[in-house]
Order: sequence, then structure tokens, then C-alpha cells
Amino acid sequence: MQTASDEKAIEFIDVSKRFQLAEGRTLREFLPALFRGRGWSAPFHALRNVSFAVGRGETIGIIGRNGSGKSTALKLIAGVMAPSEGGVHVYGRVSPLIELGAGFHPDLTGRENVHLNASILGISGREIRARFHDIVEFAELRDFIETPVKRYSSGMYMRLGFSVAIYSDPDILLIDEVLAVGDAVFQEKCLAKIREFQRQGVTIVLVSHAMPMINQFCSRAILLHGGQLLADGAPQEVTRQYLELMHAEEMAVS
Amino acid sequence: MNHGFRIAGRDHIGTALRLPDFIVSLANLWHRRELLWNMTVRHLRGQYKQSVLGYAWTLVMPLTQMLTMTLVFSTFLRIPSQGMPFALFLFVGLLPWNFFSAALSSATDSVAGGSSLVTKVYFPREILPTAAIFTKVVDLLVASLILVALMIYYGHAPTWTALWVPLLFLIQFLFTLGLSLPLAALNLFFHDVRYLVGVVLTMWFYLTPVMYPADIVPDRYRILFDLNPLSLFINAYRRVLLQDTSPGADRLALGIVISMAAFFVGYYLFKKMEPGFADRI
Repeated sequence: MQTASDEKAIEFIDVSKRFQLAEGRTLREFLPALFRGRGWSAPFHALRNVSFAVGRGETIGIIGRNGSGKSTALKLIAGVMAPSEGGVHVYGRVSPLIELGAGFHPDLTGRENVHLNASILGISGREIRARFHDIVEFAELRDFIETPVKRYSSGMYMRLGFSVAIYSDPDILLIDEVLAVGDAVFQEKCLAKIREFQRQGVTIVLVSHAMPMINQFCSRAILLHGGQLLADGAPQEVTRQYLELMHAEEMAVS
Repeated sequence: MNHGFRIAGRDHIGTALRLPDFIVSLANLWHRRELLWNMTVRHLRGQYKQSVLGYAWTLVMPLTQMLTMTLVFSTFLRIPSQGMPFALFLFVGLLPWNFFSAALSSATDSVAGGSSLVTKVYFPREILPTAAIFTKVVDLLVASLILVALMIYYGHAPTWTALWVPLLFLIQFLFTLGLSLPLAALNLFFHDVRYLVGVVLTMWFYLTPVMYPADIVPDRYRILFDLNPLSLFINAYRRVLLQDTSPGADRLALGIVISMAAFFVGYYLFKKMEPGFADRI
């Protein structure tokens, strides 16, 4: 732990992320490239020199068009990708709420999947047993917890995944449009839970196309466009800039 | 510019791999043993779901292999078996081979097969191939029951030299893992790897003394067997289980060196490629 960074939860320092898009790679090109530690085809920049910091307990919204680099930023925070350049620093336990239930196995029961998913998120068996009841209650799946999840509806699936992630005791919660799924009642419950997290000082990163949601929940927002940071500030101001940007592009197209 | 990536107090994708990083990686793996266990159980539970015989299929495969191969190679072709009943001779070699072959193929596919996870949440990626191999260890343990029954049936119950088996298996396990790790990683970049593994395993099977003793091989081909770690392992199993002797200090030392080298090189290559996994899926 770096004591100097105690106030920060997430820090991007001049981060760039490149992808190799070229197909038709051959082993003969690949092996030397691997040992030199370099790529071997023209790169695509998903993020370019992006710097920002998120303080502990802040709720930050990331907005931008499809392909602007939002998902890449989330993946860098989640730790599944490494930056091509620059530094990404994340302090605390991250729970990704991205495409829920990725760790679910259709043949296993709800109970078994809770344990599996929890251990993927890095929660110990003891912790999960202590919270198991709460997880099931929150997901409203008490009667179905011994049923294989392949018999679940998509809503039930989503509720279970959301519930596990919520009870993983995160320091940093990553939310990627997932609240669009599920019925209104459950959605309201999730939003209430998010407010509770905010009160507890959990850092939240929210990616959404729903501007009212950003304005309602976030204390700050950043706007990504073509992999670059266009704006960083109060949500009302940044969402306004985003809408203007969208509008300008629409005008350009028509 | 500050290269690299850090999550304080938590495992992370590394960009370099020096000895301290290596120890940290292994410590992380130990720290996440619960996940390793859960993934292994997930594989086992998923393996034979919705089949009538269920897990018993694990036993059907080696049994039918043993019966058919004994008929063809012993009865038809009269291949010698070091003075042992052929079925017994064969089975002692067949089990470790089947483990190796099944573990290598399944581990090679494991990271690509877990792609939905790999792009969502970080955990040490080597857990995927390791869990795939652990699943096959369980299969092997179950199939070993047949071997013990067979040994007793032929009046050749295991003696104290059978105590070498755990050590021999650990050596084989490390070798298998070491080979699997870079293959699992490369398979993400080139899907040819899985097919290549299938082809190589078929060739490798015939060139390993599973269904024949190595001593019927002409001298000028001996080098193929001396260089083949699987041949080394299987001979050692036969020595401790059937000939009731020790594996031999020099052979044992060679086995340890080969498997340690395979493990460290394999793990290094895997960790080196790991930061790029999510980029390639």
C-alpha cells in the first residue's frame, strides 16, 4: 500500500491502450515479436494519453459513444487488461458488475454458482457462507437456489449475479449498463443498494448511456471520445457537452 | 513514463517476471486455492451431467482400451510384456499416458474456453489450465482403483516400492503443467495450437512404450525413447509397481530436472503472455 495514495481509489496516468487488429498472424512473425515483447502489426488506439483520478468514495460516470474507449477503461480498472503505456493504479477490492453471471455454469445449481462466482471475485468460502442468506434474499431466489441455473430466466440470472457482486464487499464497484436489465422493482432495489454503497464510501464507476442516471448518481463525470479525454467535471456540464457532441455529429451525418 | 500496473493488496497482471515476481505469482496461486478447487469441482460436475452412467464413464474408457489392446497386441501380435500379464503391464503405462494426454488437451483449451471470464474479472489465469489438469487427476485417481484391483487379481499386490508413486506422479504433474501453460496461452493467439496438440499426442502415444516394452526397440531408435520424458515416467511406474525396485537415482534425477525445467519455463512463458490475453479474445 502506498500511503500517499490513500485518498485515491483509481488513478490513470497518461494511459494509452493499443490493440493489434490485423488478422492472418503467423507463428513465424509472432514468435520473434513475443521475445522482443512487441506487437507485429498496425495498432488501433482504444485510449490515448488519458489521465484522471477518482477519489475514494466518489461516484464517477464515464460517458461517450460506442467505441470511445469506455469498456477499455473499465477493463483496465478491473485489471483484466494492462495499459500499453502509462500507469493504472487501483487501490482496493474491485467488483466488476460487467455482463453479470459470466462465471456461471449452466449445469450447476444457484447455490453452487454463488460459491463459484464468489471465489472468482476473490471472496473466501467463509465470507460467502456468512452472506449466503443475504445474497439469496436480495436476489429473491430462495425457492430456486437448488435449481440448475440453466432453468433460470434471464432476469433471475441477472439478479443472482448482481447479488453476488454486491455482497462481495467491494471497495470499488464497476457498473456497466447492467441496470437496464431486470424489472422495475428489482431495478429500484439495485439503485437503493447503490445509494447505500455511496453512503458507506464505496467508490463507484458507472458507465451508462442514460444521462439522467449519470446526473442523478454521479458526483463527477468524464467524457471519452475516440479514446481521448474530452471533459472531466460536474456531471451536468459533461453530459451537456456529450449531448452537444452527439448533436454535432448527427448534423454532420445528415 | 510509468510503465506497469498495480493493484495494491491484490493480485494483478504483471508486465515483467523476475524471481520475486515469480514467488509472488506462486503465493497468489496459493492464496486463490479456493477458486482452483471450485473450478475443478465445476469441471467434474459438468463432465458427465445428463448421462445415465455419469461419472462411471471415466472407468469405461480405460477398461475398454485395456481389453481391446490386450487382445490385439498380446493375443494377436504376441508382444512381450517383461514377464508380466500383458493387461497389467499395459495398464500401468496406459493410466499415466491417458492422464497426460487428457490433461494436455483439456488444459490447452482451458483459457480459450474461459474467455467470458478472462475478459471480465482478473484472477491468476494459470488457475484455468491448472484446474483442467486437476480434474484429470481426479479421473486418474478413480481409474487407479481398477489398477489396484487388477494387481491383486494377478497376484501382484503393490509392495512398499509403490510408495514411490506419489513422487513420480508429482514429477509427471509438473511436467504436464509446464507443457500445458504455454500451449494454453498460445492457443488464444492461434487456434491451430489445439489441433496441433491432437496430432502430436497421437504420434507421441505410439512412440511411447505404453503398449510395448522399450527394450524391443532397435538400438538406433533408442534415442527417441531416451529423450521422451513420458517414456521415462512410464518406465519408472513399471519399475516401482511391477518389478518392485526403486526408479533408479539417475533416472529420478533426470525426471526431476526435466519437469522442473518444463514447469519454470512454461510458467514464465505463460506469465509473459498473460497481459495480452484479454486483448486477443
